Amino acid sequence: MVPTRRDVLRLGAAAAVLLPAGAARASNRVPEAIAAFTGGAAPAEGGVRLDVPEIADNGGAVPVRVAAPGARRIALFADGNPRPRVAVFRFGALVPPDARTRIRLAKSQNVIAVAEMADGSFRRASRKIAVTVGGCG
Amino acid sequence: MATPRPRIKLPRKIAAGDPFTVKTRITHPMHTGLRHDGKGRIVPRRIVNRFSVRFEGEEAFSVDLHPAVSADPYFQFTMAVPGPGLLEFRWEDDDGSVYGLRRRIAVE
Repeated sequence: MVPTRRDVLRLGAAAAVLLPAGAARASNRVPEAIAAFTGGAAPAEGGVRLDVPEIADNGGAVPVRVAAPGARRIALFADGNPRPRVAVFRFGALVPPDARTRIRLAKSQNVIAVAEMADGSFRRASRKIAVTVGGCG
Repeated sequence: MATPRPRIKLPRKIAAGDPFTVKTRITHPMHTGLRHDGKGRIVPRRIVNRFSVRFEGEEAFSVDLHPAVSADPYFQFTMAVPGPGLLEFRWEDDDGSVYGLRRRIAVE
C-alpha cells in the first residue's frame, strides 16, 4: 500500500511526541523521584556531604560516601541511568547518618543525594561524575 | 546462580559508646532486568532489595536497594552500642530468600 499524505503526517506527529520524551526520560524522572521521596517538598542546598570520584573508570562500581548530620534518611538518585532511584538509607539512634556503598552509573551524569532531617525538612547535594566505561544501571 | 554469601567485618574489640566501623558485603549478581544473556534473552530482574541491621531487636541501619546498586552490594557505616548485645544482619532477595548473619557483641 502506498502511504497517503495523511499517514505520513500522522507518523511524523507520533515520532515528534515520542522521541524527545524518550531521549530525556532519565533526567526528567529524577525530579519526580525526588518529589516522591520528599512528599513534594523542595530540598534546600547544603548540609549534605556527597563524596564521589570526579572520574570513574568503572561505571559498574563507583564508590559513594554520603553524610548529613541530623538526617534520619538519605536517598541517592542518578540522572543518567535508565532508572533514577539508586538507594535509600535509614539511620537509627545508634548509627550516625554517614554511609558508604558502590553504585552503577550507565554513563557520565549527576548523582544527587537528598536527606530527610530530623525536623522533617529536606536537604540536597549533587555531584557530576565522568564515567569512562559505563556500568549497567 | 551461586548461593549468595554474606560477609561482615567488625573490629575485634568494641568499647561501650565508642564508634566502630561495620563493613558488609554479599555475593550477588544484582540482575537489573535490563541486560540480555548470550542468546539475546532478557535476564530477569533479581536483586537484593533490602538490607537491615538490628541491635537487640531494634533497627539501627537499613537500605532499600534498587538495581543501580553494584553487584555484590557493599555497605559501610559506623555505630556505637551502649553495652553488649546481639547484632543481626539481614539481606532480602527478590526471589524471597533471606540471608542472615548474627554477631554477639561483647563490650569491654
